[in-house]
Amino acid sequence: MSRPPADDLDDIQAARDARGPVLRKSPGPTAWFDIRKRSTGHWAFSLNRITSLGLVFYLYLHLAVLSMLLGGKDSWNGFLDIATQPLFLGFDVLLIFGLLFHGLNGLRVALVGSGVAPDHQKALFWSFMVFGAILLLGAALHIAGSG
Amino acid sequence: MVTLDPAPGGANEAEDPTAGTADGAITRDFRVFRFARDGGPSRFDTFEAEVEPTSTVLDALRWIKVHRDPSLAIRHSCFHASCGTCGVRVNGREGLACVTRLADLEHGRVTVEPMANFPVVADLVVDMTSFSERFPPAHPMDRASEFPRSADLPSGVDEYERFEDCIECGLCLSACPVSATDDSYVGPAALAYAQRMLEEPRGSDIGAILDWADGDNAAWRCHAAFECTEACPSNVRPAQRIMHLRRALTSRRGGGS
Amino acid sequence: MMPSAQRASHDAHVLIVGGGGTGGALAHDLALRGVRVTLVERGEFTSGTTGRHHGLLHSGARYAVNDHESAVECIEENRILRAIAPGSFEENDGLFVAIDDEDMAYLPGFLEGCESSGIPAEQLTPQQALRLEPMLNPNLKAAVRVPDATMDAMRMPLRFFATAKRNGASLLNHLEVTGLLIHDDVVSGAAVHDHVTGRDAEIHADLTVNATGPWSEQVATMAGVDVPIRPSPGVLLALRGRMCNMVINHLHASGDGDIVVPQRALSIVGTSSWVVEDPDDLGVPDDHVARMVTEGSKLIPAVATATHRAAWSAARPLIGSRGDADSGRELSRTFKTIDHAAEGGAEGFVTITGGKGTTLRGMAEVCADVVCRKLGVDEPCRTRETVLLPHVAYFAA
Repeated sequence: MSRPPADDLDDIQAARDARGPVLRKSPGPTAWFDIRKRSTGHWAFSLNRITSLGLVFYLYLHLAVLSMLLGGKDSWNGFLDIATQPLFLGFDVLLIFGLLFHGLNGLRVALVGSGVAPDHQKALFWSFMVFGAILLLGAALHIAGSG
Repeated sequence: MVTLDPAPGGANEAEDPTAGTADGAITRDFRVFRFARDGGPSRFDTFEAEVEPTSTVLDALRWIKVHRDPSLAIRHSCFHASCGTCGVRVNGREGLACVTRLADLEHGRVTVEPMANFPVVADLVVDMTSFSERFPPAHPMDRASEFPRSADLPSGVDEYERFEDCIECGLCLSACPVSATDDSYVGPAALAYAQRMLEEPRGSDIGAILDWADGDNAAWRCHAAFECTEACPSNVRPAQRIMHLRRALTSRRGGGS
Repeated sequence: MMPSAQRASHDAHVLIVGGGGTGGALAHDLALRGVRVTLVERGEFTSGTTGRHHGLLHSGARYAVNDHESAVECIEENRILRAIAPGSFEENDGLFVAIDDEDMAYLPGFLEGCESSGIPAEQLTPQQALRLEPMLNPNLKAAVRVPDATMDAMRMPLRFFATAKRNGASLLNHLEVTGLLIHDDVVSGAAVHDHVTGRDAEIHADLTVNATGPWSEQVATMAGVDVPIRPSPGVLLALRGRMCNMVINHLHASGDGDIVVPQRALSIVGTSSWVVEDPDDLGVPDDHVARMVTEGSKLIPAVATATHRAAWSAARPLIGSRGDADSGRELSRTFKTIDHAAEGGAEGFVTITGGKGTTLRGMAEVCADVVCRKLGVDEPCRTRETVLLPHVAYFAA
């Protein structure tokens, strides 16, 4: 029996290799914020990143504001007028939320990530959030009362 | 002579019990990811499939392949969540097509896509090569069986054994946001397997496995999103295992064994 | 173990159509003999019938009474597979359990059949059986321990593919045979369609093997020959919860729902039987599923209340009787290698069919012997002693 040509086999393989398997465009860090169909752990993860960005932004903002001190008493007092406006105070509450969430959830991640109670991560999350909500409510009332 | 099991002596051998069972059949719309044949962009095809109330996503996909479009490329094998070949995303959420019941999905059109973070070969078929390369040096399939509790063992059997829960389906990798960011992260399945080796060494080199887990792209890259545990169809709980693995690594660094 | 990138030492090229366990084992056997092999499968490997079974590694005891040949084949292959695929089995043995007096009447013949087939069988008292398997029906009357085991129905066969690939076989999934290349009654290969690229192509081969299980007849028709295969599906039911570690069989003449096989944290109850025309259109009859529950709970009462994880059907290739028109290579009635040329059909075309998950290696050996004889390749079978690569080697680049 003469050996028939095997050209087509090489063609089939070549055609497959030419197109590769293709990695769909990787979502990259945007995957962090895609919470569709995701669960508690992922929301906490996403919000941790959002609050961290917010807090870093706040840090620079705070430094910029503090630098107004260089402009003397009048410049600072001008700022304080803005700082006591209700809208600004509202942002303060948002800031406290960010601090509480990031801090408490961070504590949860540190605990769970060191192997302490990883099976109870959801319970930890919600109990910390309840605790944080109480603190936040207290802070918000305090701010509202002082306005 | 018959094969898988001998045919019973029953009367139903000649009859087809599925003939004429049209009642209960309904149609459902499916939007299925198609990877282009001609090097062009991928697309979604819409199909109307005839399904039963108890049908799974895999039943529907196979119906579509047989009755509507034979070119639809799909992976499947065992039909009972044991082989891990039919992992897909249904309406954006990871699952095994063979045990994802249509009745459990929200009403309306069902979208089926391949798993994320895997190279796509064709349509819903992904390439598992790099997934299988992530595992730690030793990962045997056999483990001790923890149930049911038996008072005795058959003579000659040292302990009852079973297979590891992990069916290497890759759904955990698909769900992981760190894997979505960076392909070099070894991923939940590999780390979970490493932790199982710590729990039950089976003669493996624990030091080598811990060294592997301590590496740059291993246990320390997890960010506790826990989506792997949510996605796992086989109760592996990879996220929790990664945390336990970290504890073992930490205590090792601290001077413990 | 041969070095990687082994070149075939013979010129002949064999095309295997069908990527189930039989095709994979055959590719492995031929690759070890130095034959150049290409295997094509229209879907994923083992996606036909092989991957769907409950995972039983037969001891052969089920056939001890009625089919001595099958029983002997099974126990022999059982031992070989444990040796060549270590780590791929839950080696917990199995029990045949008698529930009523009719079952007890079956017992003596069963023990005798096991003995004459060389299947180790040990009778146990009900108390002993319950201590081994606490979830058994407490009213059982007797139990016999046999060397059944559980395999992963996809991963164990995948080891054959992995080893064949390492030894130079070309394994192409998602490549569908659309017709055979046939001229003057000589089959010289197949026309294929690649589901990955959408292209059509031809594969030329000196010999084409039809290893498509319940689809055997569809492929044989492409060569203008007949194989007496009827697809015969059965229902299987996976329940949540591992209710046994040993395989639990009902000690009686075979019937529906007479086996419970553990699979990780599931318990698989099987099976039933009917006949269809089209193996792609099986259906899952509700009354069969209900029967699995009824019969299975006779063995393990917890079956009645367990949650259903999955219910599906798998088609066996059922060989119909057709007289003596087969070539001399027919080993037994359990599976057949049909050399179509020997009966005036197409040259260059062989069908291997029948069998069961447990006998994949043995079937492949018989078929490879036929293939090599036809091609003038004088090499012995080496699969009995060659330890297979782990299944993950299949995915290695």
